[in-house]
Amino acid sequence: MEVFIQTLVAGILMGGIYALVGLGMTLIMGVMKIVNLAHGQLMMIAMYITFVLFDHFHIDPYFSLLVSMPALFLLGAFIQKYLLNPLLKVDSILPENQVLMTVGVGMILTEIVRFIFQSDYKSVKTSYSFSTMYLGTISFNTSMVVAFCIAVLLTGGLFFFLARTDVGKSVRATAQNKDAALLMGVNAEWITILTYGLGAALVAAAGTLLLPIYYLFPDVGGRFTLKAFVITILGGMGSTVGAIVGGVFLGIAESLGATYISMALSDAVGLVIFLLVLIFLPGGLKKLTKI
Amino acid sequence: MKRMVSAIVTLSFALAFLVLPAFAQETVKVGIILPITGEKAKFGEIEKKSFEMALEEINAAGGINGKKLEFLLEDDTGRPDVARSAAEKLITKDKVVMLGGGYGSSETFAIAGVAQQSRIPFLVNTGSDDKITEKKWEYIFRLNPPVSEYPKGLESFLTEVVKPKTAVILYENTNFGSSGSKEFKATCERLGIKVLMMEGYEHGGVDFKPLLIKVKQANPDLVYMISYLMDASLLMRQSLELRVTPKLFVGGAAGFTLPEFQKNAGKASDMVYSATLWYQTLPYPGAQKYFDDFKKKFGVDTEYHGAEAYAAAFVIADALKRTKSLGPEDVRQALAATDMMTVFGPVKFIAYDTMTNQNKLPTYLVQWIDGKLELVWPKNVASKPYVYPIDWEKIWK
Repeated sequence: MEVFIQTLVAGILMGGIYALVGLGMTLIMGVMKIVNLAHGQLMMIAMYITFVLFDHFHIDPYFSLLVSMPALFLLGAFIQKYLLNPLLKVDSILPENQVLMTVGVGMILTEIVRFIFQSDYKSVKTSYSFSTMYLGTISFNTSMVVAFCIAVLLTGGLFFFLARTDVGKSVRATAQNKDAALLMGVNAEWITILTYGLGAALVAAAGTLLLPIYYLFPDVGGRFTLKAFVITILGGMGSTVGAIVGGVFLGIAESLGATYISMALSDAVGLVIFLLVLIFLPGGLKKLTKI
Repeated sequence: MKRMVSAIVTLSFALAFLVLPAFAQETVKVGIILPITGEKAKFGEIEKKSFEMALEEINAAGGINGKKLEFLLEDDTGRPDVARSAAEKLITKDKVVMLGGGYGSSETFAIAGVAQQSRIPFLVNTGSDDKITEKKWEYIFRLNPPVSEYPKGLESFLTEVVKPKTAVILYENTNFGSSGSKEFKATCERLGIKVLMMEGYEHGGVDFKPLLIKVKQANPDLVYMISYLMDASLLMRQSLELRVTPKLFVGGAAGFTLPEFQKNAGKASDMVYSATLWYQTLPYPGAQKYFDDFKKKFGVDTEYHGAEAYAAAFVIADALKRTKSLGPEDVRQALAATDMMTVFGPVKFIAYDTMTNQNKLPTYLVQWIDGKLELVWPKNVASKPYVYPIDWEKIWK
């Protein structure tokens, strides 16, 4: 029983971070209808920013959130405005080809970072790196608990933004039907820039929160892009609730899979779920609810 | 005036082209394939630095019978397909006389396949999967012990001091991990140790807790882990978190002996044992000097991977000096006739057990004590006495 609870706890905590990664991608997918294949690389950039701030200025990773999120927001907005939006204006290029541009962006970001930092593994060790909280015999990694809490806060903030503010409603409108939104006076181009920036900021938060737990190297982005993709499909493209549920679900599934099937197959669990969702529930979990 | 200028310019170009060939002397080219970037970059870096240090010394002492020795370095990025292409490029395009290096077992196996097929000699200095020298490939030579022999130094320690009854084996799902774990399981069975759990994992994992929870429940006396660098650090950090406390943790070399392991795992690396193939206080001529020179030149500690590379460079140079010609068959014969002492130990390629062209060397046991890697077994070569039994609560406070 204890094993089960511990595994569940580990899965939920990891799921919080996955949810953040998935949220960013699902937002971008909902509004721009493209898969942002540079998602993991944006996360990687945020991790490097956090690392540099820690290494040179001794700024705690959690405070670096205040730097990495805006920085990636700007980077994301820049990418959307100058690299992706111009593609839409060219008639001969299908909108879906923006995806290829994101692939290119991802590669460039990876190689620039490799050039500056080499491929060494970097990690940060904070005063609380080794601290663990215990509830009975169940151990909770402090860094992961903090990450989970911050993830919850950010998600709550995002919900508030989307549901209550005018800008947020414009984002949802553009996601539902771009032409109709244009007709209603929404500046769709500006919204796409904002959304990409927002998606980038969210995955930046995930990266910053992950750094104390994991480690860093230029190619770290790839596997998280894949996870984000699985979560997005699982939750339903464009569904923010779906992304959250999907993220936590994936975290738990991987954790249980690792314990009860085999650690070697833990990544496979996520991919099998991906296949099952595609076959049996094509719209994702979104289909099961009405959100 | 204009004609004068253009005439002078043309003449100087012509002179330059005449003079340059005179500077491009004939060099003896050897291809070295290492992971310079990618996950195994840290290992590749230590070996690259050691190769470079050795090269300087070899060329300063006259090179290969007066000709300069040149190492053409190729990056296999830690992936077998890239390693294969690198080997093919070095053989067909750069026309090297032989290959060296070979860090990761999967990559080394791929390179060996290419070398054997192209009939170019390849001196492996780190790739340890037994398979590499079990194929009766006459062009492949290996300086380092195979992974099945890594725990030999550990064996006597276990039978004489620890006497564990149960063990758990955790390994990375690659050639190195899979073959090493199989061999250790066989060793355990031979020593009468019950293997409670043997599980592989995909490298690059974030969360090993599902695996470690199972280990904690199994409550073994000994936990044996085979990993490269970052997984080793995370495994120990998360073991500390979960308070997994076997009688001892033993790493199967690789990630567990690098200085970065101690840096990344911090407190969690203390008291961890590891198999190792070399230590600077071993009675091989030049071993301590190599360690000190490396530290002076690069500012960081070296360890067994660096020693392997350093020794390999000298074995290559020695063979190339003795060879009748630089043709592959003659170089192969010269390598096969190697019988010399290096900082890594004596080098003589023999056939034993199921292997051919394999150098036979003992292995040792090291332990991280107070943040430093110390040789603890066998006792007669130890740099510090081993710490056992281990009070984990005190260490992990």
